[in-house]
Amino acid sequence: MKGKKLKSGEIENALNGFLKDEKHLVLGFKKDEGGVSHQIFKGNLDHYSLLNPVFGANAALYLRRLFSKGSQVMLMLRPCEIRAYVELHKLTQIEREDVIAVSIDCPGTVSSKENRSDVPTEAGELAEYFKNPDSMRWACSVCSEKRGVVGDAGIRIDNAGNYWLIPYTEKGESFLSDIEGESEDVPPEMLTAKEPKKDKFQVDMEIFNKDFEKCIMCMNCRDMCPVCYCIDCVFHGDEYLPKGDALLNKVFRTGSTKMPRGKELFHLIRMYHVSQTCVGCGACEEACPQGIPLTKYFKGVSERLQGIFSYMSGRSFEEPIPYVTFLEDELKDATD
Amino acid sequence: MAEETKEKNPEIVGFACSYCTFKASEMAGSLRMKYPEGVKLIQVPCSSRVDPAFVIKAVFEGADGVFVAGCHPGDCHFIKGNYYTRRKIVALKEMFDAFSMKEKLRLFWVSAAEARRFIDKVTTFYNDIKEKKNEREKA
Repeated sequence: MKGKKLKSGEIENALNGFLKDEKHLVLGFKKDEGGVSHQIFKGNLDHYSLLNPVFGANAALYLRRLFSKGSQVMLMLRPCEIRAYVELHKLTQIEREDVIAVSIDCPGTVSSKENRSDVPTEAGELAEYFKNPDSMRWACSVCSEKRGVVGDAGIRIDNAGNYWLIPYTEKGESFLSDIEGESEDVPPEMLTAKEPKKDKFQVDMEIFNKDFEKCIMCMNCRDMCPVCYCIDCVFHGDEYLPKGDALLNKVFRTGSTKMPRGKELFHLIRMYHVSQTCVGCGACEEACPQGIPLTKYFKGVSERLQGIFSYMSGRSFEEPIPYVTFLEDELKDATD
Repeated sequence: MAEETKEKNPEIVGFACSYCTFKASEMAGSLRMKYPEGVKLIQVPCSSRVDPAFVIKAVFEGADGVFVAGCHPGDCHFIKGNYYTRRKIVALKEMFDAFSMKEKLRLFWVSAAEARRFIDKVTTFYNDIKEKKNEREKA
């Protein structure tokens, strides 16, 4: 694989050159006194940071219903965010023409809930910081794909701490041509390696009920999920989660009920609906005010369900989502 | 007799494709074949109309078992509907397996002519669920 080695400041120069055009934007990270956060840059970069060690929300959430109008947006984001963007593109929520997606190797993140001020923002220091596995968010510590190998181009970090820009599509190639120097062979070993396979997720309803005991059905997990994109969610009407009159009628028909009702219904249906598109970013857990271990469930279930079809969410633009396609000759033992 | 009244009868919800399984159930009726009265059929225009959300809702609102039944692969009235059903229900079964309740969901292929097969499938499912339920009651 070919790529270009980036000297320090080179990526900022390239992005500043890109931003000279009025209709160009960069969605990346900004570092200031308050910490590191998402920022859409227009005109020029300001306090730009390539890496963001704090996970608050998945930025693909901000890109839903993006239609191509001749402008250009450069995404300089984490792999999980780029993968969510790829899934949203397949779900026809984002038009790809206006977007150049660059995924950056992710050393892991800490939770935005923890308010840590001592987290470094340089790749080498971060790798050192995360030697202690407790300091990482749970979702990141079990992440199966931290490598920047998705999107139009990727920024990889090698063991010596050098940054490499590697193009994957034509758009990536054109971004690469903005950077000086010759393409060279990329070293095979990188700082962020492929993760080993993990055990199958397995629980029972008792454990589920215990974990979701505290759920207050605020539905923040649904609202902050980057791939839970339906404008009219199935839970809006009275069919699944009745309110008011419909709720009382239901209680008259079926008897007394514990409130809030429908926790299993809500979480399991949502788990199924996002099963093939879930990127395991943990934005749901980040949004949960009750600290429920949602990532364990959503990521575990989605990995099992994607495994049936050898699919991985966000891996490529061409692979169709398994539920919208089929092979005639498959799943022979489907029936009982 | 007293022993029998103690036994709990399960409720089973079945989503039946109106072009095949539902026709098979009607045929079974006209042939005077019997299947357990705890089985409630819901007619759907095609088995792929069944959003897995329906199945999950049925399970958590009290059904002891749910089955989805459609035409044999290749025989769909809408040409390819049941291929989608197969993918969706296989995935849903995997999810139920992750929550250790795999036995609650089944998928059948029953054509309009197979009244006998429909009765067999439904009765076996009913009996399995009933056995499990009564075991749990005793424990």
